[in-house]
Amino acid sequence: MKIRDIFGYSFSAIKLRKLRSGLTILGVVIGIAAIVALLSITQGLQSSITQEFTTGLSADTLTVTSGSSSGFSGIVRSGTGTASSGFKLYVNYTQDIVGLSPGIDSALAVIQRNGYIRSGNITQKATIIGVDYSQYANLYSSTFVAEIGTIPLNPLNDTIVIGQQVSDPSQNGTVLFSVNSVAQILWTNTLSLPLRNDTYSSQVAAILKPIGGFNVGGVPSDSGVYIPISQAQSFFGTTECDSIIVKLKTSDQTTIDNVSKVITDYFGNEVTVQSATAVLNTMSTVFSTLQLFLVGIAAISLLVAGIGIMNIMIVSLMERTREIGVLKALGMKSRTVLSIFLCEAVIIGLIGAVIGIASGWGLASLVGRGGLGFGPGSALTNGSGFAINPVLTPTVFLGALAFGIVVSIVFALYPAWRASKIRPSEAMRYE
Amino acid sequence: MATPYRTIVQATDLTKTYMLGKVPVEALRGINLRVEIGDFLAILGPSGSGKSTLLNLIGALDKPTSGTLEIDGVNVSTLKDNELADLRRNIGFVFQFFNLIPRLTALNNVELPMSIAGVKKSEREKRAEELLEMVDLKNRINHKPAELSGGQQQRVAIARALANNPRFLLLDEPTGNIDSKTAHELIDLIKKLNSDGVTIILVTHDQHLAREAKRTAQMLDGEITSITVN
Repeated sequence: MKIRDIFGYSFSAIKLRKLRSGLTILGVVIGIAAIVALLSITQGLQSSITQEFTTGLSADTLTVTSGSSSGFSGIVRSGTGTASSGFKLYVNYTQDIVGLSPGIDSALAVIQRNGYIRSGNITQKATIIGVDYSQYANLYSSTFVAEIGTIPLNPLNDTIVIGQQVSDPSQNGTVLFSVNSVAQILWTNTLSLPLRNDTYSSQVAAILKPIGGFNVGGVPSDSGVYIPISQAQSFFGTTECDSIIVKLKTSDQTTIDNVSKVITDYFGNEVTVQSATAVLNTMSTVFSTLQLFLVGIAAISLLVAGIGIMNIMIVSLMERTREIGVLKALGMKSRTVLSIFLCEAVIIGLIGAVIGIASGWGLASLVGRGGLGFGPGSALTNGSGFAINPVLTPTVFLGALAFGIVVSIVFALYPAWRASKIRPSEAMRYE
Repeated sequence: MATPYRTIVQATDLTKTYMLGKVPVEALRGINLRVEIGDFLAILGPSGSGKSTLLNLIGALDKPTSGTLEIDGVNVSTLKDNELADLRRNIGFVFQFFNLIPRLTALNNVELPMSIAGVKKSEREKRAEELLEMVDLKNRINHKPAELSGGQQQRVAIARALANNPRFLLLDEPTGNIDSKTAHELIDLIKKLNSDGVTIILVTHDQHLAREAKRTAQMLDGEITSITVN
C-alpha cells in the first residue's frame, strides 16, 4: 500500500471520530503549548536580563569581592557582606591592586548600603553607593551620565547623584527630587548597639539618565543614590568596602584570566574575582537549569497526552477489530496495519504540535505584552521598566514539533502492534 | 470444453480444530475436495457443519490443523503471514455481513483491495467504476454503505471482491441477509460471473441457491458427505 494511501486511510479514521480525536489532539496541544510558552518566555527573559546586565557591565572590568565563594553570590550580594573567614576588603586596597599587573588601568572601591532617602515627609528605600565620582564616570562612561545637572569631579561631602527612579519613583513625571533640592539620607547604623538611625542632609547635584538594568556589583542603576566615597566612609563609619571594581586596559580573555589570578593570589584566595563574561556565563547556566526544570514540568503534561493517545488507540482498536480483519482478508499485511495506526498517531501529534506551537507562542506573546500582569507597564514590572520579548527559536519550533510527534508515536506503538497481530479469521467472528 | 481443466483448490484430509475456551472443537474432520477453474461449487450444510470454517481456510484467512490445502498449487500451511496476505489478494471474498468499511463510499470500498495491492489512484478509480457499473450501481458510486440497501451493499461487496481479478470468488451465505427478490437478482449475477469465467465457491444453507450451482457439496459434522453434479 502506498504511503499516501495509508495516510488517507488513517485520516479518514480520525475524521470519523471527530470529538474523540479532537480531545486527544487537545491533550497534545496543551502539552506542546506549555513547553513552547515556557521555553520562549524563559528565553525571552534570559535575553532581556542579559541585555539589562550588559547595559551596566563592561567587558573590561573585574569585580573583586571578599570571600572565596564562587558563582553568583559574590556578585549579587549587597550591603554588609563579610566572608566567614573574617577577611575584609578595604578601600585603600585599590592602590595595591593597581600596582599588581600592567594590565590594570585603575581600581575603584564601592561601599554599598541599603538605606532611605527622604524629602519632606516622603521617604523611600534606596541603595546608597559610595564611589569616587570621576573614576566611576570614567569606568561607566555610558551609564554614569547626568541627564539633568552635572556630576562634580571633586564633590562636596553633602553632594549626591541620584538615579532616574529615585527622582521619579512612579515613572510618571512626578519628580520627588530635582537638581539642587535637599534630601535626607538615612541609614540604620548596624554597627552601633542599640541600632541607631543615622542621617545627614545632602544636596542633589545631578540626576542620571535612565539606564535600565539591575543594581548588581556596584554598576550604575536607576535606583542608586551615589555619594562620594569619603562621605560613605565617614557616614557608614567604615574603611571596608563591598567590592572593588578593576578596569582593565584590554578586555581579552587572557588579560581577564591573568589579572583575576594575580588578584586572587595576592589576597591569598580570600577574594572572588568576577568578570562580566563570567557573570553572563553563570546567568546562562542558571537559566538553562531553570528552563530544563520548567520544560520538564511541561513535558509531563505531554506524557499525560501520550497516555490519552494510547487510550483512544486501544478503544479504537477494539471498535475496529472487525474492520482490521476485513483489511487483512483483503490482503493487507500486518506491517501495513501497524503503519495505519502509527499514521493516525502521527497525524494527531502533528496537528496537536502545530496548534500547540501556535497557541504556546500566542500565550508567550500575551505574557510578554503584559496581558497576564507580567510584562512592561504591569504591576509586577512597573518598578524596573523591564520587558520580556518572548523568543521562538527554530530549534524550539522544530524540537516541539518533533517531540509532539515522537510522543504520539511512542504511545501508539503498543496499540498499533496489537492491531497488527489481529488474526483475520478471529476478527471476522468478533462482534 | 475447449479450455483444459486446472485445479485451483485441492484439499486433502483437511482438519481444523478450534479451542473453544479449553474445549477443543473439531470443525473439520478430513475434508477432501478439488475445485477446477471455471467451477461453480455450492457447499451446503446446516449451521455448525463446518462450512464457514472450510471457506475461511480456502480464503487463506486461517491455516488448517492438519492435512494439506493447496491453493493455485501452493500449500497454504507453508506460507508465512505476509505470504498469506499476498495470496489473499488473489482471492475474492464476499462476507456474509458484507463487511464494507462504513466511512468509505461504494467507490472507495471497491478501490480498497487495489489500494492495498498498491495500484495507482487513477487506475483503481477507473476499474472500480467499471466494476460498480457491472453490478449495476453506477449511480450509487458516492454513497456510503449506510445509504445503500442490503442487496446493493452485497453487490458492492462482490465488486470489491472482484477488484484484483481474483483466481476465484468465495461467497459466505450470499442470500442470508437479503430478501428473496434481491436474492434472485444476486443468483443471476453470480451465474453471469461464472459464465464469464469466474470460478465460484459459495457456502449456503439455502437449497434453492445450491441447486443453481454446477456442483453441490453436502456437509455435516465437519465432513463432506456427498458431492453431486447438478
